[in-house]
Amino acid sequence: MEKFLEIKDLKKSFGSGEAKQDVLRGMDFTVEKGEFCVLLGPSGSGKSTLLNIIGGIDTPDSGYVSIHGDKLEDMNEKQLTLYRRKHLGYVFQMYNLIPNLNVKENIEVGAYLSDHPLDVEEVITTLGLQDHKYKYPNQLSGGQQQRVSIGRAVVKNPDILMCDEPTGALDYKTSKEILALIEDCNKKYGSTIIMVTHNEAIKYMADHVIKLRDGVVRHNDINTNKIPADQLDW
Amino acid sequence: MKNPLIKRIPKELASDWHKYLVIIVFMVMMIGVISGMYVGHDSMLYSVDAGRKELNIEDGSFELKKKASKELLDDICTGKMADVRSYFIEKGNKEADKEVADAVEEHLLEEVKSAIEDGVRAQCEAYGIIDEKMIQTQIDTVMQDSFEEALEEARNSEEFKQAVEDAYKEAHDTVVEEVDKEWGKTEKKYHLDEAFTPVTIKVYENFYREVAEDNNLDGTRDATVRIFRSDDEIDKASFNAGRAPKTETEIAIDRMHADNVGVTIGDTIRVGGRDYEIVGLLSYVDYLTLHEKNTDFMFDAFGFDVAMVTPEAFSQMKARVHYNYAYQYDTKPEDKVAQSDYADAVLKSLITQTLVYDNEIEDFLPEYLRQASNFAPSDIEGDSAATSILCYILIGVIAFIFAITIGNTIDKEAAVIGTLRASGYSKRELVVHYMSMPVIVTIIGAIIGNVLGYTAFRSIAVNLYYNSYSLPTCHLVWSKTALIKTTIIPLLLMFCINLYVIVKKMQLSPLRFLRHDLSKSKRTKARRIPAWKFMRRFRLRILFQNMPNYVVLVFGVVFIELMLCFAFGLPDSLNHYGDMAPQMMFAPYQYMLMDSKDEDDHIITTKEESAECFHAKTLLYGRSGAALFSGRGSGGDENVTVYGIAKDSAYISLDSDVGEKVYLSSAFAAKYGIGVGDEITLKEEYENQDYVFTIAGIVDYDGGIAVFMTEDAYADVFDVERDEFSGYFSKNEIKDIEEKYIATVITKEDISKVTTQLQHSMGGFMEVFKYALVILAAALIYLLAKIIIERNEQSISMVKILGFQNGEIGSFYIVPTAFVVLVASIIGFVVGYILMIWIFGVFVLQMDGYFAYYMRPSSMVLSVGYLLVGYAVVSAVDYLRIKRIPLDVALKNVE
Repeated sequence: MEKFLEIKDLKKSFGSGEAKQDVLRGMDFTVEKGEFCVLLGPSGSGKSTLLNIIGGIDTPDSGYVSIHGDKLEDMNEKQLTLYRRKHLGYVFQMYNLIPNLNVKENIEVGAYLSDHPLDVEEVITTLGLQDHKYKYPNQLSGGQQQRVSIGRAVVKNPDILMCDEPTGALDYKTSKEILALIEDCNKKYGSTIIMVTHNEAIKYMADHVIKLRDGVVRHNDINTNKIPADQLDW
Repeated sequence: MKNPLIKRIPKELASDWHKYLVIIVFMVMMIGVISGMYVGHDSMLYSVDAGRKELNIEDGSFELKKKASKELLDDICTGKMADVRSYFIEKGNKEADKEVADAVEEHLLEEVKSAIEDGVRAQCEAYGIIDEKMIQTQIDTVMQDSFEEALEEARNSEEFKQAVEDAYKEAHDTVVEEVDKEWGKTEKKYHLDEAFTPVTIKVYENFYREVAEDNNLDGTRDATVRIFRSDDEIDKASFNAGRAPKTETEIAIDRMHADNVGVTIGDTIRVGGRDYEIVGLLSYVDYLTLHEKNTDFMFDAFGFDVAMVTPEAFSQMKARVHYNYAYQYDTKPEDKVAQSDYADAVLKSLITQTLVYDNEIEDFLPEYLRQASNFAPSDIEGDSAATSILCYILIGVIAFIFAITIGNTIDKEAAVIGTLRASGYSKRELVVHYMSMPVIVTIIGAIIGNVLGYTAFRSIAVNLYYNSYSLPTCHLVWSKTALIKTTIIPLLLMFCINLYVIVKKMQLSPLRFLRHDLSKSKRTKARRIPAWKFMRRFRLRILFQNMPNYVVLVFGVVFIELMLCFAFGLPDSLNHYGDMAPQMMFAPYQYMLMDSKDEDDHIITTKEESAECFHAKTLLYGRSGAALFSGRGSGGDENVTVYGIAKDSAYISLDSDVGEKVYLSSAFAAKYGIGVGDEITLKEEYENQDYVFTIAGIVDYDGGIAVFMTEDAYADVFDVERDEFSGYFSKNEIKDIEEKYIATVITKEDISKVTTQLQHSMGGFMEVFKYALVILAAALIYLLAKIIIERNEQSISMVKILGFQNGEIGSFYIVPTAFVVLVASIIGFVVGYILMIWIFGVFVLQMDGYFAYYMRPSSMVLSVGYLLVGYAVVSAVDYLRIKRIPLDVALKNVE
């Protein structure tokens, strides 16, 4: 595996004076291409902030993120947009679907951004949404909406799929289905997955587990005994 | 691949159709009405202009006492001045020659007779004959035999010839002396001795008769009608309906007059004692407004009419013929100065030619000074100022609504926008996406509005003009101004304002969108509010939370109130002006004379004790930067009447020590903000002559734009004699001055005539305007209230879950809005009222004369009341809206 994503001495704080809060206090790690990487940590550990910085929608106070050797800090806003457009797919805890577009159209919103998108119908089938493709988001369950959200991100055929607590609002069963889908995407399309979660159980399906606490990396482990998502339990 | 976000647009339109419908209706109404006004305005002006060519309008006209001979007309056409002096000398010499010849002959006969008698008597005396009888017999015999011979001899004598020559010479010299004396006066009076360039013209007969019109056949006179022949070649009429008369019992009358007095085609009216059937409703090109006399203060479409009959019917009428001739220049004057020079030249030619042909001029009027053909076009031109102001205010309001709507949409979709931006959608793509809706809605509104503007609303505007003036049939013309002002500018304005709002919003980072952190304010703590009851505090929180929306609401309400102040205030101001007219007259009667002297050069006097003579003339006051247009009449320079007031006047009290300083009428001072000590410059309209005056004081007179100065100062400044006065002020009617010497009489009716006509023209429109504004107010409040409730959908749903009833929830959300609307209405009214006074001042600056803005107390109450009624309707809709919000809204989409 090649060195794909490099995080070097990343620091970030919010507020100032007495209210200043250090969220990231110097993080270092790398992620290989095609890796399924889980950022694990309790609430306030800085994992979402880290994900946002990697995603180019937030900036560090110091340190850098580089992808393929290109440092994000050297990119201007336009280049960052292009970076996100060409390389990233995003899945959020809240699905943030466009309410007046149906399932297929919501997925097309992602496909439009890519120079080499996956086939929308195929993605719909992969996500098990064939019977719902003409439904609007408010006609879907939470799990179905999250599938659409994943579809929107995956259809771009991104180099990195960023997932921020994708199962945070879902029940056990649906969460496992969603995790299985993300796993499939990783395998099928070779996307690098960076998933933020506080669910310890998810680390077992990852290639690379980074545990965060109080803004620093506590553990940086390579998991050699991956188990499929459908065998996870919590 | 097409941007899939495009698919949202029709869905967005469909899902929020009522909001967009209101906006589109708003836009359509605005663009439609204003475009209609412009198209109507441009079409009308075009039609008037086209009519002037097609209907062969005169360049001027004159009326003669007698029908002109062909030779006189031919000479007038040359434009040359007749050699009046030679004519009179020749005429005088002829008369003198005859008188001299008669006198010489008489004298010679007497001399010869006397010589014969003297000779006979001398001979008788020599022969000693003393008997007188014999002497007389002898004289008779000699007289009989030798008289002829003696007469012949005397005639041939050198002495006699010399005497005759001397007599002729003396008589001719006297004639020249007399002619030069009289001619000198005329030359001076009409400036006939100045440099003169002849202007060749073509003259047409345009005879008319004036008779009584009885339009309801009740035997009483209802109006004066001026009758022209249907075969006139000049100053023709266009037919708004029907046709020209073909038989002796048919007549076509002015359309506006027919409308006003309630007659139409097919009706019979009695004209000059004979019944005629109306077969056509017309508009004479030179009578766009029914000014009976050019000096009339206001036209009168009720009491005056113009009509057309066949030449046969015309010849059968008994009333005297007015020998009116219209003329056209062979070469048209290039500018206003040339117009004036040409008219002067024609007048000089006319004066001299009529003198030598023993005719008299009854009236002379160049077309450019003709009120009846120029009043309407210049007034229509003036309308565009008001239309523009209305247009831009409305555009501002719509742009505001859009900005708020878009801002709210972006707030609502913050998470989606954050996700799209995080996924790689560029700011530009999202700006384009969110811009598309306002652009589409504006374009739809603009298209429908323009279509309506060129159809329905144009007709409304044209009918407004038809209600005021006798205008020709209107031809639809493409109006560039309408397209630019009602479509291009609003589109650009909307585009820019929305672009600004959206681009500004899109500057936020994707993360802030994802976190719904769109507010600029960094308020971290809630406002502290007193420990009131929960319900009251809840409402106050809602008030604070929606402050930006309420700010827009307040702006909107202020705008609506401003418009209501206009809709209520304009008719009120007109009524008030009409009611105040008697108090505005500084003299109950103001007689303007044609001249201070009568035909016999005697000063025109009156036995009326209250009469007091005054001097007056009209000068122009430059509106400078205040004028939107150039040209005569409304829009051009202000006409100022300058009065020269007698010492110790009973009507206007001036301090006689002010010298050449002047007093201003209060209307003049108020209109232009001129005060005591300021200087004003007045100028002659057609001469290069300016006068600078210092203001000594203000005279309380709101009836007109006037300057008052002492008689002495007037005489000095304008170089006139004391006895060359202009008219009389009088407390009572003056009955002992012949009507032909009176140019016009200004009474309180004349002042209120202006307002009567305006009320007739605009009364109905203002009523409609009021109701349209209430709908506009309701639409505006509807849109803003909708935004407030949409923003709070989740909260409303949540309080429903908590167990609050619809009525309670309604009171949370409706009461704060009602409170804001109420307070805003009152503030809006005050601001609107003050703004209206200012706007009215600017508006009045564009027209001649002065109206002060006035609003009745009842109108003040109603202007707020109307708006609250509009809000009451909206709050009922709001309540239904709140009722329909489902409980699960609070449970879905919760982060």
